[in-house]
Parts: sequence; structure tokens; C-alpha cells
Amino acid sequence: MTGTLRAGLVLGGGLVLLAIVGPWIAPDPLAQPDLITGTLQSPSATHWFGTDQYSRDVFARLAAGARASLGIAVGAVVVATLLGTLVGLIAGGARGAAAEALRRAIDLLLGLPRLVVLLVLLAAVGPLTPLSLALVLGATGWPAIARLVRGETLRLRETGFVGAARALGASPLRILRRDILPGAMAPALVAATLGIADAILLEAGLSFIGLGIQPPAPTWGGMILEARDHIASAPWLLLAPGLALVVATTAATLIGDALRHRLLPGTR
Amino acid sequence: MTDLLEVRDLRISFAPPGAAPIVPVDDVSFGVAAGEMVALVGESGCGKSLTGLAILRLLPRGAQLGPKSAIRFAGVDLATLSETTVRPYRGARIAMVFQDPMSSLNPVMRVGAQIVEAIQAHASVPFSTARARAIALLAEVGIADPADRVDAWPHQLSGGMRQRVMLAIALAGEPDVLIADEPTTALDVTVQAQILELLDTLRRTRQMAVLLITHDLGIVAGRADRVLVMYAGRIVESAPASTLFAAPQHPYTRGLFGSIPRLDGPVERLASIAGVVPPPGQWPSGCRFHPRCPLAVAACVATRPPLVADTAAHATACWVTAGSPT
Amino acid sequence: MTHWLVRRTLDAALSTLGGVLLLVVLVQVLPGDPLAAVIRDFPTDPATLTALRERWGTDLPLGTVVARFVGGALRGDLGTSLAAGRPVTTVLAERLGPTLLLGGLTLLVHFTIGLALGLWTALHPRTLRARVIGGLTLVGYALPSFVIGLILVWLFALTWGWFPPAGYSDPLLASDAGLGAVLLDRVRHLALPLTTMVLATIAVPIRHQRAAVDETREAPWVVAARARGVSPARLAVHHIWRPALTPIVTLLGLWLPMLVGGAVFVEAVFAWPGIGTLIAEATAQRDVPMVVGAGALLILTVQVGSLLADLLYRVVDPAQDAA
Repeated sequence: MTGTLRAGLVLGGGLVLLAIVGPWIAPDPLAQPDLITGTLQSPSATHWFGTDQYSRDVFARLAAGARASLGIAVGAVVVATLLGTLVGLIAGGARGAAAEALRRAIDLLLGLPRLVVLLVLLAAVGPLTPLSLALVLGATGWPAIARLVRGETLRLRETGFVGAARALGASPLRILRRDILPGAMAPALVAATLGIADAILLEAGLSFIGLGIQPPAPTWGGMILEARDHIASAPWLLLAPGLALVVATTAATLIGDALRHRLLPGTR
Repeated sequence: MTDLLEVRDLRISFAPPGAAPIVPVDDVSFGVAAGEMVALVGESGCGKSLTGLAILRLLPRGAQLGPKSAIRFAGVDLATLSETTVRPYRGARIAMVFQDPMSSLNPVMRVGAQIVEAIQAHASVPFSTARARAIALLAEVGIADPADRVDAWPHQLSGGMRQRVMLAIALAGEPDVLIADEPTTALDVTVQAQILELLDTLRRTRQMAVLLITHDLGIVAGRADRVLVMYAGRIVESAPASTLFAAPQHPYTRGLFGSIPRLDGPVERLASIAGVVPPPGQWPSGCRFHPRCPLAVAACVATRPPLVADTAAHATACWVTAGSPT
Repeated sequence: MTHWLVRRTLDAALSTLGGVLLLVVLVQVLPGDPLAAVIRDFPTDPATLTALRERWGTDLPLGTVVARFVGGALRGDLGTSLAAGRPVTTVLAERLGPTLLLGGLTLLVHFTIGLALGLWTALHPRTLRARVIGGLTLVGYALPSFVIGLILVWLFALTWGWFPPAGYSDPLLASDAGLGAVLLDRVRHLALPLTTMVLATIAVPIRHQRAAVDETREAPWVVAARARGVSPARLAVHHIWRPALTPIVTLLGLWLPMLVGGAVFVEAVFAWPGIGTLIAEATAQRDVPMVVGAGALLILTVQVGSLLADLLYRVVDPAQDAA
């Protein structure tokens, strides 16, 4: 196992662990135990990362935020990968006008800034639940995957073993599923892993501008938004979720890079 | 005839960190006189291109010259110069033409600008004068419409024309020595002949010494005055071209002759040397050619044969054939 | 070339139109009341609601809405903002300047300091300074832009008080202040947002320039140029850097979408009165016409940027002329 992969798995695994065991080792992230004297306390043995302006435990909110951020990002990437692989396979496997129309559609969607589409969606339907946010992030993330899978499908279609399968009389659908899908999945998996970092940042950014999961539910982006009024007096409120974001995106990038080396040797 | 350029004990080594040094060129000595064309012949991977680059101190990063290596030119040992002090020699005294005219021209610079650059690198010439000389040089290397072509981009020219441009650039500094490293390998056969013809004409009109580096003995015949045959980093045979073509001594040289297809000969199996040159670092003991040599004896495995001259001009490094004309 | 330009411009126009239409259709087919921004939580009787829907044309069929939007857009009318009650284009015009200023300056820094740092680190890879630059860009790459912005506010505005923490200009600045004072005020307000944008994005030009220079410095034409005695300075500029510019220009098309994202979050940190804060506020108020209008403007910017990048690519790479 390479150092990159190990570092990525350690960082990512740490956050997943935090998300899972958080409820057992940290207090209730929504509880406001002491609004008189317990607010904005600096890190201590009882409050590892201090408390916020409502006296809530920052470590507990960080763990709960990990659950929200990682859950939404992974959900979004699963949706994007499934949709993107399906559309990419069809676009690469089909011929004629349909394939051309799909190619144009994918290119059109790729030309749209993802954030703009997300904001229009949010303006139309209002604030979202974590599940629908994951779905919406996935629904705006699939074109990139689709383009990769389409290109790989086109390439594999011309290779010898697919020609051999065709000569043996395999049906086109069987060829797509058995001979092309496994190969076309490799770049999709790499892009999906790297896409987790994008999804985490987008979700945090939306929460930071007040358009993501609504308070009081803890998210890293929301914690950063709430921290901005207290940066000078309580910088840990900013640093804790900021660092968590860095660790999460770095882990996804490291694992993605390691996967790329393993699955797609010779690319940069 | 004293040599204008003299290479002595050239040794080039790479020392990768944590590994044994690799020595792709070892103990190579030769000279080139004014107006003489010397051919350095060998298969790819034998160190002949590195030898050419070493003369102008253009070796890739990590390559080192041996402590005894000397490159004497006009009373100066180029091997002792720094990157700064060697620059006045590059192009102005010794020029170089490379194998791939496609990538040896800067793709985003007009060809005229690259010739002008070569002129202005060594003389403070006003631009208009330099440009006029660039056009004259293009005419000299046989490019039609030189006044138009001077403003062409490299991608607008054919491979042969690009190599002519490379020659014009090489001539721009009025060099005494021209090193031509596989100048025709990347070109079509008909264009090859034209470029070689041009090279021959230029060295006669300008009295230039030419070091022609090639893997192809066929293009050497009738042009070179002397031939050096190189194998696995060493010179194995050196002789005047006429002698070498009449009576090659080293089994490797004979093998190379066997590799030249003859248009007028009977169609037979192309006799060639079995195997390939092993990479530097895996070179065998004794005579490095012995694993591929049909005549090898026990001495060839054990001891390196010295380069001995049987006549004043013909030297061969072989335990079996040297001195015994066969 | 003219033929290509016409075709490419047409392509960009169609892509913009297609993208914006997609947004309009999306809004219509999604669940959610398009008048949520107007009605909010006020109790409204059915008669008023009907009147409102008629006035804003929200119960019309999809085809009619799209046709109306396209017709209006072609006449330069993107509808009326539900929250501000003013034409969308008027509001956009007010907000465009600050965003262009911030984004344009960021691009300028990319193309000067970014490329210079990329070239420098490629030519001196093993020095301490190159490692420091590499480390800094990695940190900037890993940290989200809004976290960088808040850290800068904490240090340079709140702790040391060198720069204002937010805003576009000082409201207390005398209206008759001289040009110098106004400029200084603008620079002071620009300092932190611009630094944030640059820190968050400059890793991209540096890395790409470095990768491009790594390729060209080993190119055969560089050896050939050295063989003719070209000076090191000329070598670096004409034979290593200039050919490495070609792959960089294609990047311009990719940077613009990135700058759009950066603008939304960075403008939010500094309450910068640009398109980014506008679209975020309008989304929060569910002001659909405003969001679609701002989105259309951003899509147009991205498409124009990609068109310019392609054009520049043909200027920079002479071999493109033949195609």
C-alpha cells in the first residue's frame, strides 16, 4: 500500500470514526446547557474544542457535522456515479442521432457552473433536507462522470476483446454490461472519489451562505457561518470545522490519487 | 594534418543515487581535421549521440565527464570550461544539427527569428543585417523563395525543409566544425540523399570539419573520409573510409555491412547481427561484443582487446581478427 | 479564421441560450411556489393570490413562460425582481462592476504572479523557496475559500486592524473626497477579498505552468537553441516559457467557472456588493427571476471566457492557424 493511500485512509477513516462514535463519546450537539456563563468557552478537558455562543459543545457539533457532511457528500457521489455511468454507457454505446443528442446534452450541462444550477434549484424549492440535498448535489454532479464513461466506452468499443465478443454473437447489451462496464468504471470510480471533495466543499459553502441544511442542525459550513461573529474572541469556532473540512477534502483527494495510480496507470 | 578538434579519453558516466554508476561512453578518442568528414557509426544505444553532445557540453543533467577526458579545440580544452565560458564556442566555432528537425525547431518562433537568433548570439549585428543574412543562408541551404520562407512557422515546412533550416541555423555562426547527429534518420529516402549532398557541398565550400553521427553505414559510403565504428560505449574500429569498406576487420563492422540491404544484389536473407546492444550498465566483460560475436574465443570474455593499429590509419579492437586480413 | 470565429461565436451563443433555458424550465417543472418570495408567511385570500398569479404570470403553461422569457431576454428584459420590485437587468448592472473588478484582478494576478511563480519553481525545483511556494499553494488549495477569508479577517482586520473587514467602500468617506482618497479606500477594501481569491485559486496556474515548463525545458528545441549559443535569459523566455504558454491559455476556459464559485463564497465573507452576494441573497429570498437572471449572466460570462480562451489559443499557437 502506498503512502498516499495510507495517509488518505487514516485521515478519512478518522473522520468516519468520529461520525460513527460521536453520539456515544460527545454530549448532545443541540443541548444548550449553560447560556449564562457557559458560552464561548475555550477548549478544555470537558469541552475538547470549547463551546459556542449558545454554550453547545463544539466537539459534539463537529462529530454531528461529520455525519451530515460525509453522509451528504457520499450520497451525492453515489447518485452522480450511478446516473453518470448509466448515461455515459448509453451515450457511448448508442449510435446515430441519439448518441449525438446525448453527447450534446452532456456538453451543455458541463458548460453550466454547478453552483449556479444549485442556487436556481434552491430558489425554486426552498431549503432542503439532508436527503434531498444529497440527491440535488448528485443530480448536478453526474455530467462529468457521464463524459468520462462515454469516452471510455467509445475507446473500449474499438478494442479487440469487444470485437471478439461481438463476433461470438453476444448481444449489444451483454457486451455493454459484461465487457465494457467493468473497464469504463475505473475512471468513473477515480472521478467519484475525487468528487467527494467537491461535494463536501459545495455542501459546506452552501451552508456557509445560509442555503444548506438549516440551523440548528449542525453542519461544518453552518458552524463556520456562526463562528464569523466571534472569530476574534473564539477562533476555535472557526478553526475546528475549517480543519475538519481540510482533513476531509485532503483524504478524498489522496485516496482518489492513489486509486488513479492503481486503476489508471500512466495518467496524471 | 593536425586535428582541429581532438577528443581524448572521453568518458561519460551517470551516477544515479544509491546505484552503481553507469558509463555509456568509455575511453573514446578521435580527431577531426579541417575540411574532413569523419563518420561515427554504431547501432542506437552505443553512445554515439552522447559523444556528440559531450563535445559542446550539452550532456543531459546528471551526466558527468571523466576526470581524464579532454575535448581540445583551437588550443582550448572544452571539457574544463563552465556553462558560461563554453557558450562562445557553441554555434560560433562548433555547430550542431540534430536528428529530429520536427522538434528541434521551436514551434512558436518563426524560422527566420531562430536563424537571426543564432547570428545575434555571437555578433552584435543590427536586426536588418541579420535578417538579410538569414535569407542568404536559407538560399545557401537550397530553400526556394527564401525571402518568403524566412517568415514561415516551423509547422508550415516539410521535414526536409526543416532540416535545411537547421543547417542554415548551424551555418549562421560560421562554425569551423559541424556535428551532424543522425541528420537524415527522420527523413524520406529521397530527401535523405538531398540533405547529405548539401552537407557534403557545404563542408567543401566552407572547409568545415564534419562529424557525421549515424547508424547507417550506407550513407557514409562515398562521403566520409574516415569512419569510427562504435559499440557499447567504445570505439571498436577506426579506418579511412575506403579501407574500411574494402576490408572491415572487426566482426561488428562486418555485421553492420551485412545489415545494409543492397538494391543491386541478389535478394537473399538479410545478414544481420543477432540480438541487440544491451543497455549501459549491463555490458559484458572483456570485449563487449563477445555475446553476439560469431568468432568469439575465451580471451574475448576475459580481457578487453586494445585498439591496435595494423597500418598507420587502420585500428581494430579484436583478439581474433586484428592484424589478420581475411 | 473568420469562418471559425463565426462558428465558434454561434456555438457559444447557443450554449448560453440552452443553459439559461434549462434553468427556466427547471424552475417551472420543480415543485415549489414561484411566488414564495412575494407571499412569504402573510395570510393571503384566494382572490389576492389569483391576482398575484395573473400579475406575475406564474400559472401560464410551460411553453408560454419559456417563450415569454426568451422574447424578453432578446430585448434585454430578464423580468422583474420579486424582492426588489425592480427590473432584474437594472439590479445586475449595479452589481456587475464589483464582481468584474474582483474577478478581473484575480485573473490578472494569475497571469502575472501565478505564471511567474510557476516558471520560477519549475526552473529552480530543489530550492527552499520553491518548496515554500509549493507548500503555500497546497494549503490554499486544501482550505475552502471562505475559511481563508475568515482567517484573513481575523488576523488582518480584527486583530491588527490593517484593513477593513468587509464592504466595498467606507460609508463615512466624504462625498467630495479627492481621487487619491477614493482610490486608497478602494484598494484598502479590495486587499482582503483579493488576497483570499488569489490564495484560494493560485495553486492552479502555478501547478499548470510548472508542469508545462517541466515539459518544454527538456524539449529538443531547447537543446538545439543551447547548441547555437543562445543566452540563458533568452532560452528561459523564448524557448522554455513562451512554448509553455500554449497549454496555459486553454486553462483560462476552466478558470472562469472556478472564479464564479469563488466569487459567490468570497463575496459572502466580505459582503462584497457583487453578483455573488446578489445571487446568494436572492436565493435565500426565493427571488426566482433574480436568481435566474444572475445565473444567466454567470453562464454568459463562462461562455464568453471559454470563447476568448479558444481565440487566444489560436493566437498563441501558430500551428492552429493551419487547421
